[in-house]
Amino acid sequence: MVSIKLDSVSLVYKLHEKLTLSAPDRRVSGPGGRIESSGRKQFVQALDGVSFELKAGDRLGLVGPNGAGKTTLLKVLYGIYEPTEGSIAIEGKVDALFNINIGFRREATGRRNIVLRGLISGWTEAEIEEKMEDIIAFSELGDFIDLPFKSYSQGMAARLAFSAATALDPEILLMDEWIGAGDASFQDKAKRRMDELAEKAGIIVLASHNESLIQSVCTKKLTLKSGRIESLTTEPPKRMGSAAKR
Amino acid sequence: MIAALNGAVDDISKAMKLHRVWIALAHEDIGDQHRRTTLGPLWLLVNYVAFVGTFVFVFQPAGKDAAGYSAYVAIGLLVWFYLMEVMSTSVALFQREESFIEGTTLPLFVYVMRLGLQSVIRAGYAIAGCIAILIVSGSPVTFPWLWSLAGLLLILFVTPALTTVFAFLGAFFPDSQFIVGNLLRVGMFFTPVFWMNNGQDPIQKYAYEWNPFTYFLEIVRLPIINGEFPVHAFIVTIIASLLTWAIALLLLGRYRKQVVFLI
Ligand SMILES: Nc1ncnc2c1ncn2[C@@H]1O[C@H](COP(=O)(O)OP(=O)(O)O)[C@@H](O)[C@H]1O
Ligand SMILES: [Mg+2]
Repeated sequence: MVSIKLDSVSLVYKLHEKLTLSAPDRRVSGPGGRIESSGRKQFVQALDGVSFELKAGDRLGLVGPNGAGKTTLLKVLYGIYEPTEGSIAIEGKVDALFNINIGFRREATGRRNIVLRGLISGWTEAEIEEKMEDIIAFSELGDFIDLPFKSYSQGMAARLAFSAATALDPEILLMDEWIGAGDASFQDKAKRRMDELAEKAGIIVLASHNESLIQSVCTKKLTLKSGRIESLTTEPPKRMGSAAKR
Repeated sequence: MIAALNGAVDDISKAMKLHRVWIALAHEDIGDQHRRTTLGPLWLLVNYVAFVGTFVFVFQPAGKDAAGYSAYVAIGLLVWFYLMEVMSTSVALFQREESFIEGTTLPLFVYVMRLGLQSVIRAGYAIAGCIAILIVSGSPVTFPWLWSLAGLLLILFVTPALTTVFAFLGAFFPDSQFIVGNLLRVGMFFTPVFWMNNGQDPIQKYAYEWNPFTYFLEIVRLPIINGEFPVHAFIVTIIASLLTWAIALLLLGRYRKQVVFLI
């Protein structure tokens, strides 16, 4: 059974340099996590006592100002960061899209990059072979697939990254803000694929500043502020466009 | 301690399951480094041969046999350059892989093996050059060459451990990147890479006996040069290798989840 459970998860970044030279008492509290210091070390409390549970079919939208802790939370869910405190239990195969360029090599062709990306995600060669044409078709990159990755625009890279990450039906898909990089028609396609994924009893966690994207994709909305949960609401997604007709 | 070892074994076994990843990435790396060059990786062979040639030309002891000295320098430089490359590229390993470490959940040992394989592929070209020099300079291919092969395998065995130790060193103490680079450059003169220890000069004798790298060189060199099995050198090397592995496993087990916060 696919599920995510976080129990009062906190995460503190330690910094060894001074963050700023201005006097701390005159600074207004910004949008980010809280900055604390002891001696030469400084700490940023990026997540503070975050608890929630997600079960199969849930689509969670993460919102909050810059520095609220959205990316950090996604990386904790993926397993890149171990929480400083609290515990986390995840059932299911996770795939993530943080930064479009991660795992892509500039000099290699799109096709070769799909292979590398697949290997990194732990796919077998047979699985890569099997999914290759699907991925290329979904990305609509056409002949560009045999050109080096460095010749792609941001939007094209986003298409390739999204197509590859969702090709093997991950049970849990984590996505950071950049999903807006593709053009409108691709975003529509991407939404449909996310719907399919969630209908197959998967979980999606999507961080975005795009309110309408969150509304059309997500069933739950978690608002973070300075690393704390400000609100967690459940709302039925407003289906729009082609996704509603199916 | 036990938990740390379990963690390290877990990381390593996951990385071994993902061997296709580091094999593919290492090949891409080599390809990228030599993209658009005419000779491609053959430059590695050219560089090595040019280096040996220069040393033989400049440092050849007058009146002694030239062939013996060519073999001495050829093997010395082969092993030393390999070790030096492994150590100096390892200190910045985690920093170089920052985007991967912060964006994927690949076990750290994947990066260690990727770098190790790269160094081995590069060393392959130098080995070809070394064998050519040995044959041209008239060293007969004899049974003790097998001991040299065993020596090379031992060096291969210690490579991932050496990379791990230096990579953690570089992650925890970024200054070490510069220190290690400098020490290695100086270290060449304190290691019997191109000079021979005749036991007369006390500094030379000291540098020979107390430098662990001496023994890594000698397990490959002595069998071919003297046709003997260097028992002492093998024992020292084996102990040094096991120690390095022990430190590597502890570091990997205990600190692998901290690395992402350090780089
Ligand atoms: N690698 C890091 N080192 C130190 N502080 C960090 C690091 N990454 C993020 N932070 C801090 O943690 C807080 C949350 O950041 P992040 O999760 O990236 O926010 P968001 O994605 O919501 O914009 C911010 O205050 C940011 O400054
Ligand atoms: Mg972010």
